[in-house]
Amino acid sequence: MTSQGKFPVSRRGFVAGSSALAAGTLGFPAVLRAQPAAVKVGMIHPVTGFVAYNGQQSRLGGTMAVEDVNKAGGIKSMGGAKLEALLGDSQSKVEVGVSEVEKMNEQGVAAYIGCYQSPVGIAASQAAAKYNTPFLIDVGASDLLVSRGLKNVFRLKPGFGVCVDDGIASLGALNKAAGGVAKTAVIVHESGEFGTGTAKLLAGKLPSIDIQAKELIAHDNPTRNFDNIALRIRSLAPDIVMMSNYGNEYMLLARTLYQQKVNVAGFFSILGGGFNYKFVKEMPDVAQYMMDVNHWFNPRSAQAQALKKRVEDGGALFTFEVYLTYTNVMLLADSLERAGTADKEKLTAALASSTFKAELMPYGPTRFVNGQNQGGRPATMQALKGDIEVIAPAEFASAKAVFPKPKLN
Amino acid sequence: MNVPSSWRVPLLATGIAAALAYPLLVPNYLVTVGMLVFFTAFIGQSWNIAGGFAGQTSFGHVVFFGTGAYTSTILQVTYGWNPWLAWPVAMAAGGAVGWMIAVLSFRAGLKGSYFALITLAFAEVFRILANSVPFTRGGLGMLIKADPRPENFQFRDPIWIYYLAFVLCAVSILIAWQLTRSRFGARLVAIRENEDAARALGIDVFAEKVKVLTLSGAMCAAGGTFYAQKYLYIDPSIAFGVDKSVEMLLVSMVGGAGTVFGPLIGSVALTGINEGTRWLAGIVPALKNVQPLSLVVYGLMLILIVARLPDGLMGLFRRRPKAVPRA
Repeated sequence: MTSQGKFPVSRRGFVAGSSALAAGTLGFPAVLRAQPAAVKVGMIHPVTGFVAYNGQQSRLGGTMAVEDVNKAGGIKSMGGAKLEALLGDSQSKVEVGVSEVEKMNEQGVAAYIGCYQSPVGIAASQAAAKYNTPFLIDVGASDLLVSRGLKNVFRLKPGFGVCVDDGIASLGALNKAAGGVAKTAVIVHESGEFGTGTAKLLAGKLPSIDIQAKELIAHDNPTRNFDNIALRIRSLAPDIVMMSNYGNEYMLLARTLYQQKVNVAGFFSILGGGFNYKFVKEMPDVAQYMMDVNHWFNPRSAQAQALKKRVEDGGALFTFEVYLTYTNVMLLADSLERAGTADKEKLTAALASSTFKAELMPYGPTRFVNGQNQGGRPATMQALKGDIEVIAPAEFASAKAVFPKPKLN
Repeated sequence: MNVPSSWRVPLLATGIAAALAYPLLVPNYLVTVGMLVFFTAFIGQSWNIAGGFAGQTSFGHVVFFGTGAYTSTILQVTYGWNPWLAWPVAMAAGGAVGWMIAVLSFRAGLKGSYFALITLAFAEVFRILANSVPFTRGGLGMLIKADPRPENFQFRDPIWIYYLAFVLCAVSILIAWQLTRSRFGARLVAIRENEDAARALGIDVFAEKVKVLTLSGAMCAAGGTFYAQKYLYIDPSIAFGVDKSVEMLLVSMVGGAGTVFGPLIGSVALTGINEGTRWLAGIVPALKNVQPLSLVVYGLMLILIVARLPDGLMGLFRRRPKAVPRA
């Protein structure tokens, strides 16, 4: 806050000055002062609420990365300064997310990482912009996040625009190789910004690969019964069903379509929130042959495989939230290393000029344009025999796609 | 516990002075928490006027909130209006929706739980409409461009939005207080206590109920615009989501429905519990990874308040009848 009325000293300045004076008077031993101060990283995720599992997975990845950076000696250019994670719960609410930003700002964070849901990310990063604090979007698909001209917002992963483009290219290639079996599609999406935006883009671009969208079906969050939607899809008899929704709804819809024996050439989702190891392990029959264009780790990266093993040994699943938040902490650590300071302006500049190599991800070189990494790209995966295989891009592929899928009995 | 009448003015003056001084003394985070307290109290009071004073319990008050939020945002983003000018139009729109719902519902003779459910249905209809029509951008939501200037109804320093929320809350309390002193308010209480008896006394029950829902709708819509300007993004789930209706209802019930200060007291208690438990979960190492515990504590305290204080927290301050000595 700036100074008010006749008071030449700001409220915060007064508090900071008093603290400094008190510290000086008490005279801490020089040895303690020599310890570099920890760099505080605010991690805001929905660890309660309807996407709590996803938020908890992000938190897991973030805290593991902080641990790894600290074990490796911290930020060397800052005298080995350690990272300190401040953990916040957005409760899936915009107001609470913003409140967390304010709280963490008082605690002196150098940067924020979050927020999983785009609306929360939009408002929280806006709040962080007031303090010029860098905000790294780890998960959050909306392209609005990086199209507002905010200098403090960075997103390493691709947004839904790129995912749709890559998904269309991938589906087009699969369909062509299969002799053009798919001519129609039904798109089922969650009714928020991410699902609606993705669905609209898809509907507009499907004709370019000779597929027509028969209908776009929106559903709320949370939805706990998909019977009506499954029956509607069956009556429309599309060749493929495309989905864009959050985890629980994705899995429920997939299971309902399986139970209702909806026979199509393929299920192809763009950013299907539930397409992960949890899904394929818990419902292998339902998941079999389903395809998804999503964030995925590079299966050929030894570092990614090692992290996957560590996560799984700890009893958790290696979902995209884990390695996206992990990678964002690494990006931040790399930028702090290059900036040599936690000064917000210098850190923002270091992030903006970053050429960070995202070891875990199948990305090209990092290059931020208006906060969006141009090297970020999704992978196309398919669930095959209780596992998830990458089927595109070819240089990272671990299996050959099965399309069209065999008919259900 | 009774508050002697001679204490009321000094207490009120102290409360106002404390509220005005508060943001100058605390960090921004607590300023934001204070803003949330007054804002929630304001939208809670809009519910309280219809649900508490007039007994027209609504489960879908968010329909007015969303109407206000969308009206001012559309006028601003699509038509380039200044948000300050769009604000009264948004209030008028909220009032008009209140009038429409009241006329349709009360003419059909809906009351009690039927009225509560029809308001919920209206809120859902508006949410689905906002999701479907192009001028709201459907599920994509509407983003207000960040341009933090006071003339733009955006403030760089949270202290100003805090004071604005304080003023809104104070105005809503004045309206509620006026209801306790006016004939209109007396007629509403009569309707709440016994609609047939009120009609027998010559009160135009239909007209009074329409008036109060129109007033309540306009107030709630003002809260919608305030929210949109504070967070700069709305979508159908945020603007018409049922959780906002619950929030309005809850602060009034916990604080004391049908009382002047009930929503404010309820908001202080609920926001305090929510923020306090989250803060504890953040600083106590044992609670750091069990953040949902804060919601459990929140729920338990809510159960305790509702179970032990059926008149809400304001019941603590009410004069109780003296016990009649046994013969």
